[in-house]
Amino acid sequence: MIPSLFPSKRRLQQRRAQKFWAAAALALLTLIFAACAPLPATVGDTTQEEAATEPQSTAAPAAEEAMAPIKIGALAPLSAPGAVGCGEAMRDAMPIAADEINAQGGLLGRPLELIIVDTEGLPERGTAVTERLINQDAVVAIGGGCHSSVGVAAKEVAHDNGVPVVFAVPWNDTITSVQYPEIFRLAPLNSEGSAIDVKFIQWLRDKVGVSIEKVVILTENTDYGIPVAEETTRLLGELGIEAVTFSVDIGAQEFAAIIERVKAENPDMIVTLATGEGGYNFIQQAADAGIGPQDVPMLCNQVSLVSDAFWTNVPDGNFCFVRRIGPPPQLYNDVAINFLTEYQARTGKEAAESFALAAYDSIRLIAQAISEAGSTDPTEIINALENITHEGSLGTITFPINQNNTPEQAGLDPKWWHQFPDPIITVVQYQEAGQDSINAISVYPASYQTGDPVIVGQ
Amino acid sequence: MACGSLPFARNRMEHAAIFGWALLWFAFWGVVGGVITPQIYARKDLEISQASFGGAVIGAALGPFSLLPLWIATPKIDNRMIGVAGALVVGIFITAFALADPDNLCVANGEFVISQLANGIVIGIIYGLMALGLTLIFSILGVVSFAHGEFYMIGGMVTYFMTAEWLPGAPPIVGILASCVVTFSIGYIFERIFLRPLGSGQIERPGEYAILVTFGLAFFLQYFTQALASANPVKAQRFFPFPRTEIPLDSGSLLRTTPGNITILDTISIPNPRFTAALLALIMLAALLWFLYHTWTGKALRAVSQDRQAAAVAGINPNSMNTLAFSLGAMLAGLSGASLVQVFSWLPQVGIPAAARSFVIIVLGGMGSLPGAFLGGLVVGIVEAAGTGCVPDATRAAAYIPAYGMVILTLVLLLKPTGLFGREL
Repeated sequence: MIPSLFPSKRRLQQRRAQKFWAAAALALLTLIFAACAPLPATVGDTTQEEAATEPQSTAAPAAEEAMAPIKIGALAPLSAPGAVGCGEAMRDAMPIAADEINAQGGLLGRPLELIIVDTEGLPERGTAVTERLINQDAVVAIGGGCHSSVGVAAKEVAHDNGVPVVFAVPWNDTITSVQYPEIFRLAPLNSEGSAIDVKFIQWLRDKVGVSIEKVVILTENTDYGIPVAEETTRLLGELGIEAVTFSVDIGAQEFAAIIERVKAENPDMIVTLATGEGGYNFIQQAADAGIGPQDVPMLCNQVSLVSDAFWTNVPDGNFCFVRRIGPPPQLYNDVAINFLTEYQARTGKEAAESFALAAYDSIRLIAQAISEAGSTDPTEIINALENITHEGSLGTITFPINQNNTPEQAGLDPKWWHQFPDPIITVVQYQEAGQDSINAISVYPASYQTGDPVIVGQ
Repeated sequence: MACGSLPFARNRMEHAAIFGWALLWFAFWGVVGGVITPQIYARKDLEISQASFGGAVIGAALGPFSLLPLWIATPKIDNRMIGVAGALVVGIFITAFALADPDNLCVANGEFVISQLANGIVIGIIYGLMALGLTLIFSILGVVSFAHGEFYMIGGMVTYFMTAEWLPGAPPIVGILASCVVTFSIGYIFERIFLRPLGSGQIERPGEYAILVTFGLAFFLQYFTQALASANPVKAQRFFPFPRTEIPLDSGSLLRTTPGNITILDTISIPNPRFTAALLALIMLAALLWFLYHTWTGKALRAVSQDRQAAAVAGINPNSMNTLAFSLGAMLAGLSGASLVQVFSWLPQVGIPAAARSFVIIVLGGMGSLPGAFLGGLVVGIVEAAGTGCVPDATRAAAYIPAYGMVILTLVLLLKPTGLFGREL
């Protein structure tokens, strides 16, 4: 059909009608989208939660400025390919800290406003949202953070702008080893995590009697996965255990071909270092192929602690061993118990994942530092953080290696710079399908043991 | 020792030089054949449509030993000749690989090779179903739908929510049918509102408009789903647990099934969810082909894809066929998602890599060709499985998965831009 150069009146009317309906449909879809978005609103790719109470209105502009909220930024992966389970736990936890502080009168007499942004677990995205937090939202400090790649990228932005950051979960050693004055961390170091993994494997072999000569490591190609795999391989080698590493992109879905290679290696144990849905996909597909956690001892990634998501995505995940950061539930202090009560009330979850505890502490730490500094000046906040003693849900948090006690002076590796030295790391095991992670059996180390490990495939 | 900074990397080729020389041979003589052959054929005033592609493949196969006779005799280059040369190239490639890395699992372990091949075929069938909808839309509307991955995602989401959240315990077919209805409806409404103006000549730059409007739909569907269903991954339970069977009864050496797996000849092991997804894909392919070749509407769709104006003269309304094609294409993507939500963890962004892979497949198979899309899916599935299984470096093998398809795409665009079954431009 050849369109006429001079459309008839009827044709023009038809066109107008089509344009009208198209515009109406767009408007309707936009309205539906806006109506259905969860509150607090997700706008574009950034989630912002106004955790503050409204500042009291006053007549004088100066007084208004004095009452303006103190803004703290927070990083969390809330979309794929990030570990959304980690991000959502942090998103639910950090406002609890903000609300508690505001309920106690805020910071320096001003309300605290928490701005949470979605990093998607991607370094480039982490850089962009950190820039935005600092230069657009004018935050005085930043907490949270889940992925090492994001931490590695975000620390550069924070350093360039002189804004203090307390990372909750990123593990990569270089985040602290570069010794930036602004960067603090609650999470364990990659190298320490690897050491725990290897000590656990050694314990299984030497104390429990599991025959382990070859370990397959399935890692993601990130600043978390690669260094942990390298260090784990090195440490296993010292024990005379061979390690074969397979790496995948973050968020990978299809593992069938790589699982055939894993099977051909005939491993005695499998360690998964893939976060997010990639980790879930691998474990379940391995289970489908007959080398899952019910067939071969498997140390699953800590995203497996998000019980609901884990059992939905990995129905055959029973007997997974999982590394857990933070104190076991029987050792929770008052801060952790109070937090857990509020967290349960808000989310309906039975347990708080370690990501949630660390994120909660990161915000409270920053708030305490601002209070002790009596200022929002970055240098003052950094000084306060260096000298802080904070009773958090993870225990008593300090940063003993700092400008007054440098790694060189303390005779320590630079990675210990501004690093919380005492995070508790345990290994738990799901021993019933559908079990909540809080009820998972703590099997290692002996001091935190609540039951014996179930060893499969022997 | 390792490459770069990966001290744990291992498994290098024992004689990498052999493989390197083979690749160099292919590249050099392929380029020589591809460049010089059409010039010689043109000088002799002969048919040159296949000269570049044929010359490249024939040159890559035997180098000067095949090119010189070709240039002297200048026979008609037909598909058979290209097929034989292509088989030779593949044979030389495999031989060089086997000589270079004799201990590689793909060389030394026959069972492993068969398993990987089976994996590749199964996932390739599923990829094919994914790409069918995209190529159907392109063949009728001339539009590449950038929202294809999101229809795939919605198909899986609807199936999951129907069978796990809204009607727990409902048979999977309910979820699958619901996903078909939802994706077909969204496709229908979207086409009527946003793509119909394309067919009536109201849009000044239809190509750009189609890209933008389908991109817009993709973003809308992705974030709308995230707002409704959250970004947490979900997964449907396996649709049909297999009964426990062994044939023969005492050993199961021919066939053995457990609820989650089927093992054939003690060698080929296919997980239940993949098997059922591939079976569903084959059934849908058969149904689609029957629809297109044995119903009036299907024939009308094919007629519009061949010549819109001639079809209109014959009494077929091209606009209605546009709507039907887009809705059907969306439904096929949704169906593909519905069958795979029991295989992969599902989240609002799950469609992005699926769509990218579908684009590779339809270009490989030939834009607008249904058999091409299916064959392209198989090729991509097998190449991915082979690449992942055979690349010596274990630390890289799976990380390169997205690259394997792209290598194939690049080669096809270089050698045969119309794809395997594409129409001549």
